Amino acid sequence: MAVKFFGQFLVEQGIVSRDALVNAIELQDQKNLKLGEMAVSMGYITQAEIERAHNAQMSKDMKLGDMLVEMGFLTLTQLNDVIIRQKNTHLYIGEALVQVGAISSENLQQHLADFKADQAKYVSDGIELPANIANSNIWEMTADLTYKMITRVLDLQFRPGKCVRSEVIAPNFMMAAMDFSGDLEARYLISVSEGLQQSIAKAILREESVEDEPSEILEDTVMEFVNVVCGNVAAKASQMGVILNINPPVTIHPPATGLPVPEGHTALSFPIHIGDGDQMEMILLIKN
Amino acid sequence: MKKVLVVDDSLSVVRQLEKIISESGDFVCVGHAKNGAEAIKMNHSENPDIICMDMNMPGMDGLTALRTLSVMDKEVKVVMVTSLGGVGDKFTEALKLGAKNVISKPFETDNVLRILREL
Repeated sequence: MAVKFFGQFLVEQGIVSRDALVNAIELQDQKNLKLGEMAVSMGYITQAEIERAHNAQMSKDMKLGDMLVEMGFLTLTQLNDVIIRQKNTHLYIGEALVQVGAISSENLQQHLADFKADQAKYVSDGIELPANIANSNIWEMTADLTYKMITRVLDLQFRPGKCVRSEVIAPNFMMAAMDFSGDLEARYLISVSEGLQQSIAKAILREESVEDEPSEILEDTVMEFVNVVCGNVAAKASQMGVILNINPPVTIHPPATGLPVPEGHTALSFPIHIGDGDQMEMILLIKN
Repeated sequence: MKKVLVVDDSLSVVRQLEKIISESGDFVCVGHAKNGAEAIKMNHSENPDIICMDMNMPGMDGLTALRTLSVMDKEVKVVMVTSLGGVGDKFTEALKLGAKNVISKPFETDNVLRILREL
């Protein structure tokens, strides 16, 4: 019930052993050339030029390929050739497992089909963001995974409202937040009413009643829900080629006037209608 | 019954895992620690068979503790717990450091127990 990569799925299912997976990953490390290594093997650049580009990267935040083009060591056409060659010769984990003898190539197709079916639950199915939001595919996936986790982890019936840009973060009983860093910077927030905090606590703790639980535990369950969603978002983002790091979750008790949107940020509000007077909202504060 | 130590800074995760473990009938929970340093101390005092440990914790994190445990105690079997399991690099790093498996969040009770029973 989580976003996984294929090797992890096979180990979790007991289809391949941990040691076999480590061997296959080591084989991938040997066979899959990094961009610089591939460019050298294709005769486009020298090792000395890579080292000069690496040194330049220390003072300028730029990917190696772009740096090599900027420094005149590679043309754009050559960079494209290198990337295409990397893709075409990439040894995927399934094939690597076949090569180390962990699975047969006949079974590989069946395992891939089973993996695809397991992960189909996490494929995005259309969420509309306001116009002109950068990296909209990542934020749509974030909303989509949030909805799926509300269903699967919290077992709540809900209807997602239309996503809008927001000037202020509306008040609610409490919020739990987690910051993303890495390729993109944003804060993920879930705001809940008191009744929903109880529903989340019941689901996370797997208890019929949480009336006697201290508020510390109740708040921790909302943070844990945010942690689970954001960890899975980071996993899905890495499959989409975007590195997101997650930081420890925090709780916020907003004032009755709500919270201002920090300068230099875009706030996207995703109302989540649960019914019975309970209010839930997902908010993304995206750094511009 | 095999003894399990749960290591997580989140009290709600500790509660979830303790419930799954204690209701299984095959394992007994011998306590919980809230960071890697406490886990190393409790591994010494409680001598568990299995440690279920979060990767990201304030103070000493799970991967650092795993590195120490794999040198200090060759017997104990460590399983990492994370919502970042699907990030291939993190999963691979944990296995290379000696983790026996990785449990992904959200938990599926059957999956957690199957992983623990296969150790």
